[in-house]
Amino acid sequence: MNTYITPLRRAAGIAGCSLVALSVTAPFADSAHATGVLAGTLIENTATATYQTGTTTGTVVSNKVTVKVDELLDVAVATLSTAPATANSEPAVLIYSVTNSGNGPEAFNLAADPKVSGNAFDGTIKSVVLDSNNNGVYDPGVDTVLTTGSLATPLLAPDKSVKVFVLVTLPVGATDAQTSQVRLTATAQTGSGTPGTSFAGKGEGGGDAVVGLTTASANSLAALIASLANITLTKSATILDPFGTAKPVPGAVVTYSLAAKVTGSGSLDGLHVVDTIPAGTTYVPGSLKLDSAALTDAADGDAGTGGASGIDVALGKVSGGTTRNVVFAVKIN
Amino acid sequence: MKLSFIVKSLAGAAAMVAMAGPALAAAQSAPSPVSLKGDVMLEKTVTENGVSKVELVEPKVVIPGDHLLFTTRYHNEGKQAVTNFVVTNPLPSAVALSSDAAPGTEVSVDGGKTWGQLGSLKVPAKEGGERTATATDVTHVRWTIPAIAPGASGEVQYHGIVR
Repeated sequence: MNTYITPLRRAAGIAGCSLVALSVTAPFADSAHATGVLAGTLIENTATATYQTGTTTGTVVSNKVTVKVDELLDVAVATLSTAPATANSEPAVLIYSVTNSGNGPEAFNLAADPKVSGNAFDGTIKSVVLDSNNNGVYDPGVDTVLTTGSLATPLLAPDKSVKVFVLVTLPVGATDAQTSQVRLTATAQTGSGTPGTSFAGKGEGGGDAVVGLTTASANSLAALIASLANITLTKSATILDPFGTAKPVPGAVVTYSLAAKVTGSGSLDGLHVVDTIPAGTTYVPGSLKLDSAALTDAADGDAGTGGASGIDVALGKVSGGTTRNVVFAVKIN
Repeated sequence: MKLSFIVKSLAGAAAMVAMAGPALAAAQSAPSPVSLKGDVMLEKTVTENGVSKVELVEPKVVIPGDHLLFTTRYHNEGKQAVTNFVVTNPLPSAVALSSDAAPGTEVSVDGGKTWGQLGSLKVPAKEGGERTATATDVTHVRWTIPAIAPGASGEVQYHGIVR
């Protein structure tokens, strides 16, 4: 038998080309998929020949050979958070994307692991959430919180991806500015393993499913940073007696200064500076100040109240690196 | 079913009838004196002791990126020589011609309208104008065999890659 792979006369082939012109193919119809031809696609090949015997011409068509494209199992996981996500009293929201890089529809099991080598602390996984409305932002009450024990993506078409949020809370003992990583792993539900491993009959369209180069399992790390704050309260006093000196005698005025210093990268919310009037003294009406600004004694629009029962100044939310000063005066009886 | 492999063809069946009884074949309206039989095999690269070689195996499992070898065998079962025998093979849309196809295979990149050597053909470029066609642009391949003597046979082949 000869094997012809060389072309011969072009003129002789013109009759042949007119015969097959009807089967114009769209060569790129399937190549739009980065992942290749879709699973279940039939590859059908037929050859046609034209020839002459004596003065008559003839045509012969070969049998059709058909091969079904099997399902390739592949997945990609990426971290979408560019900077470490902040965790404080609220959990950190880590954002990942899971992409079906195979050629058939596939769902992927998800596993979030907070124990990563090099972590300053290991966070606690609060929940794994699908970005149901696909806006890239965790929307509590809108996005689907996955049930523990059935953490998985929905069925993803080839090339399609889904964003996954992992909510991580700080463990007891985490200190400000410490960082930690969480690994999200996605694994094809049909199967995973060494590339080339095949699962008979498990592919789309009844074909086999074959593990691709990604091993049908992929993971990515995302980082969180603890953002905590501490407060120190320092109280100091100055005395001014009626004689212009600093003796604690009856009639002397004692001015107390309370410095609330918040440190750390986080903030403290709902902060109040509260103090009582020492026994044997009387509150000096109108003496209450916050950061040098006078506050009225009455419970009104401003932040403070002052009186015989003591003082109370609401500082609200105070960021780390801020010091607020509360000042009030009492007279020694 | 992972693979449907159609072995028997109408052309083949006709040829067998012709072989079994020439008189019967002659009574039919001009049966083809030439049989054409297609086949496909998966080209699997195996490495043994650091040496890579390609093995042909049944295409039981086929995934994107796999290399396929399509073969068409012809056999002149008639008593006369067959001339100007032109085998044309449209590529399945899911298959790209392998770039390592033997140089000289005559190809078309426009659905069989025009033919030539791969390097001489142009296709419209995405950014406008045109560019030299590459193996993945090929839509058809064909071979021309000047003459097949009575009883002679041979085969034509092309290598494809599952897109």
